[in-house]
Amino acid sequence: MNWHRIAAVGLATALALSAPWIVPGAAAQESIRIGSPYRTTTLDPMRSAAAGNIETFGQLYSRLLRRNAQGELEPGLAESWEVSPDGTTVTLKLRDAKFSDGSPITADDVVFSLLRVRDDKESAYPAPLQQLKDAKAQDPKTVVLTLEHPFAPFLGNLEVFNAGIVSKADVEKRGADAFTKDPLTSGPYAVSEWRPNDRLVLKPNPNYWREGYPKNAGAELIEVPDQNTRVSMMLSGELDAAREMPWSQVAELQGREGLSLPLEPSTVIYMTLLNGKKPPFDNVKVRQAAAHALDVAAITQAMSFGNAKPANTTIPGALEFHAADLPGVAYDPEKAKALLAEAGYNGEEVTMLISDIADLDKLAALIQAQWQAVGIPSKIEKVDRGVWWERVPGADYHAAPSWWYNETLDPDLAVRWALCGTCGTESFYTFYSNPKVNELTEAAAAELDPAKRRELYRQIQEITTNEVAQIPLYYPPFTNAYGARVEGLSMSPALQWSLEDASVKN
Amino acid sequence: MSLFSALGQRLLQLIPVLIGISVVSFLLVQLSPGDPVRLLLGDRATAEAVAQVRERYGLDEPLLQQYFTYVGNLIQGDLGRSIRFQLPVGDLILDFLPATLFLIAYVVVISVPAAVLLAVAAARSQGGLVDQAIRLFAVVGMTFPVFWLALMMSRFFGVELGWFPVSGYGEGFVDHLHHLFLPAVSTSAWLIPLLLRNLRAALIEEMQADHVTASRSKGLGETYIFRRHVLPNSVLPTLNLLGLMISFLIGGSVVVEIVYAVPGLGSLMVGSVVGRDYYVIQGLTLVYALATVVVTLTVDILSTLIDPRVKL
Amino acid sequence: MTDIPAPAARPVRIGPGAVEIALGGGIILAWLTLALGAPLFAGLDPNAISFTALLQPPGTPGHLLGTDHIGRDVLARVLFAARIDIWMGVAGVVPPLLIGVLVGLISGYAGGRLDAVMMRLVDITVAFPFFVLVIAIVGILGPGLGNYFVALALVGWVSYARLMRAEVMVLRNKEFVTAAKVLGYGAPTILFRHILPNTLTAVLVYATTDAVLVLLAGASLGFLGLGVQPPTPEWGAMIAEGQPYVVQAWWICFFPGLAAMSLCLGFILLSDGFSRVLGAGRR
Repeated sequence: MNWHRIAAVGLATALALSAPWIVPGAAAQESIRIGSPYRTTTLDPMRSAAAGNIETFGQLYSRLLRRNAQGELEPGLAESWEVSPDGTTVTLKLRDAKFSDGSPITADDVVFSLLRVRDDKESAYPAPLQQLKDAKAQDPKTVVLTLEHPFAPFLGNLEVFNAGIVSKADVEKRGADAFTKDPLTSGPYAVSEWRPNDRLVLKPNPNYWREGYPKNAGAELIEVPDQNTRVSMMLSGELDAAREMPWSQVAELQGREGLSLPLEPSTVIYMTLLNGKKPPFDNVKVRQAAAHALDVAAITQAMSFGNAKPANTTIPGALEFHAADLPGVAYDPEKAKALLAEAGYNGEEVTMLISDIADLDKLAALIQAQWQAVGIPSKIEKVDRGVWWERVPGADYHAAPSWWYNETLDPDLAVRWALCGTCGTESFYTFYSNPKVNELTEAAAAELDPAKRRELYRQIQEITTNEVAQIPLYYPPFTNAYGARVEGLSMSPALQWSLEDASVKN
Repeated sequence: MSLFSALGQRLLQLIPVLIGISVVSFLLVQLSPGDPVRLLLGDRATAEAVAQVRERYGLDEPLLQQYFTYVGNLIQGDLGRSIRFQLPVGDLILDFLPATLFLIAYVVVISVPAAVLLAVAAARSQGGLVDQAIRLFAVVGMTFPVFWLALMMSRFFGVELGWFPVSGYGEGFVDHLHHLFLPAVSTSAWLIPLLLRNLRAALIEEMQADHVTASRSKGLGETYIFRRHVLPNSVLPTLNLLGLMISFLIGGSVVVEIVYAVPGLGSLMVGSVVGRDYYVIQGLTLVYALATVVVTLTVDILSTLIDPRVKL
Repeated sequence: MTDIPAPAARPVRIGPGAVEIALGGGIILAWLTLALGAPLFAGLDPNAISFTALLQPPGTPGHLLGTDHIGRDVLARVLFAARIDIWMGVAGVVPPLLIGVLVGLISGYAGGRLDAVMMRLVDITVAFPFFVLVIAIVGILGPGLGNYFVALALVGWVSYARLMRAEVMVLRNKEFVTAAKVLGYGAPTILFRHILPNTLTAVLVYATTDAVLVLLAGASLGFLGLGVQPPTPEWGAMIAEGQPYVVQAWWICFFPGLAAMSLCLGFILLSDGFSRVLGAGRR
């Protein structure tokens, strides 16, 4: 046997085969390709509140109301609405809209979709519709929604991702299968092909109610977990937009021709959970000491290279009624030491639990060093998200640097999620519960006068920031990158792509 | 006859292997912390919704019962449904299998000839300049972090020169070759040194063996001796190593698949492990097991053909 | 046919093998010295962060090799990491090697049913997805470096067992083994006195490869919580941490990479040297 010859032939063949492709430039590409680390795991808007799914639901299902580029509410599937003087009845008139198969979207579909989110035992996130007492179809084009009591965030909550309208007939006929393949959609797109764990290919919904939209031939939502890979794909033109460019490469990418990186505002907040159920952070003085120990401005600078804003309150900076003028907790190591002494803290080591999300080990190391400086020794434990989500709700941690975001601009859901001790999630499992804050949460939601609401949310932020329900760290903008080939694409603070407005340049 | 009966025996032995793997992996996965439903429903999901979905997916049943349900379905050819996607596991795996198989075949086609050529060249100039250069290449290749090489190649050949795509798998054979070129080269960059060092050591050893010395004393030409005596007698350990590495690649080309966003079994596995998608992990485990056994068997059969003293 | 050598008893000759052993051993010794004297050579705390000195390039006064993404001194981290990495190279390779060699020896020599059972065990282990094992170990034993070695021992022995078995199957039919049998030596004597020394080359060559893989794999498992925990300096983890900065701050990845490469080079030279010395006495 002649090994040399076989090898030579093999190599030559490989080279010969590769030669014709060594030509720059890509083939004509009609659809818009978006890369994200967050994956689509279900096409049923009721079934998940995880980041990738939220992005997808927005493209598939229209809501009664929508937000325009300025973040204002405007008509969606409902062309008009009327709120009764006492604030407890909302009557919505539906426009003549159709599902992707051409069947009409009726008041029955709306009632079905909303009640399903509120009532279905498997509904992942019923909170936005919790105040909905009843929904009725007055006639095929009129929906009447009644509330327990006046509830200011309600119209905004009708715009949240899981309030998307699905087809009653289809879901009743196909059951859960209605969402595994080719669901009927009410939004700008329908599913062309879903390859779970890889990509979702979208095609325009021919019956979409906004005429002339989407302004493109389709889109691909591609899952790209590695951030360097997303950067490479943006640079090589294999993506038209990508989520989460690394902070360290923002400046360089902004300087690249053919790319833009506009740093769009987000409802994301980076913070550290402190477990209020366990010593030492069950003591408010130790929590305050932990907050005074951190130089939030320096941490923000180090983490984001100056692109994020230091956080001053416990809610995301992009939310309505965020109290931008509150001073936050000052960096004051001496005060921190004094508070620790007052609290009788004996220097026991705390466990800082982090998950595998990019950048968290950097953040944890910064916090560790600054806590060490005031005499709080800590040990970092890095686990994957599965373990993290078992240990945090189980109160098996002391501190947990992480992030969260809000799915709408109204602060109600954010407060219920992260600061309210009686709203179901134990203040994001910090087990912080202040009766005054819990009361204010309900009062602020029931208050219809914006000026008064502002004041109530200000109080909530003041109390929870001073009592250190969490340690707010920074408000990062989105670091999405956009290629020059596509225009009109952007992301709203609540993670919704303006994909239907985007067009491909020729 | 002996080959066939031995083959039959090996296939029979496959059954306990598969059962063993399925039991152990089932237990390990289910006992490790992390709730797939919590990960699926999202951070803000209510405890009630999580409990409800767990119940509907049968995740709160006793472990033993879950296992028997699983095996019962398995016997009927049903690998179960993905917890994350609610799609049949079999379909999911079949979607991701081709890219991985293609990549491995590509890697073998690149690595084996290169490794053999380099090892032969090195062995024949043992201690010489060529040998030293090849050994240096091998050391560097082995100690190079794969992700770093992969990233640099994608930035250089993909972004700067634009010769190759930096992601995906493409459509059609030629497109696959094009898309997977950089991933295959990145993988070969550590596989070639591994094989080459192994083969070189074996070759040098064999060149000093008695029967080779005897052939030399008979006045046979070096090249003839090399092809007829040295090479065939030295490839066995390398063949074994290659088999081992192919088995490893079927489940382990994760780094390269992630860096080049290749929709292969490695990225499916990572996604499933991180999302605690029990039945997909189970299904993948069985696929790995089958593939490993097939590769091992192939290597063993080849070994008996090359060296009749080795028994199957 | 006249001599029945006991190969391991051959005297070591001064030759090319010795040069490689000296070089390889020198590199490893140098790293041992650097590791033990890290506080002395580094002069800085490897975990001391600095908000004012982020991503300083090499050559910055006070930071010979620059600083990383949170202002830690790269030189100090590289030196302190040597302690952990040398330990990893040993603790991650020796247990699997011992288990694997033993299994391979017995399996290859005994053949028959015992061999079949052992090899199926090997099949199970090879086919078993490493990640599943990793999350299970993190879940049951907790995250950390020690448990990484447990995972490696549970999986790593397979390669040695298969390599060893392949070698033994060839050797057991060689003249010197047959002769030893005729002379009435028992199986343990034949295995450990006659066969084992002749297989060490291949095993040692693979072990150095394995040490390299162990050093590099630790970093790729970090995301599941196995391996060193931050902020402990370790080369693999440093490379992984530097990954997002690889384009604009190459030194964060580069120096730990270089360190790992040089230590690996030491291992490889050492094994090459050994293999040549042993090879000289081989049959």
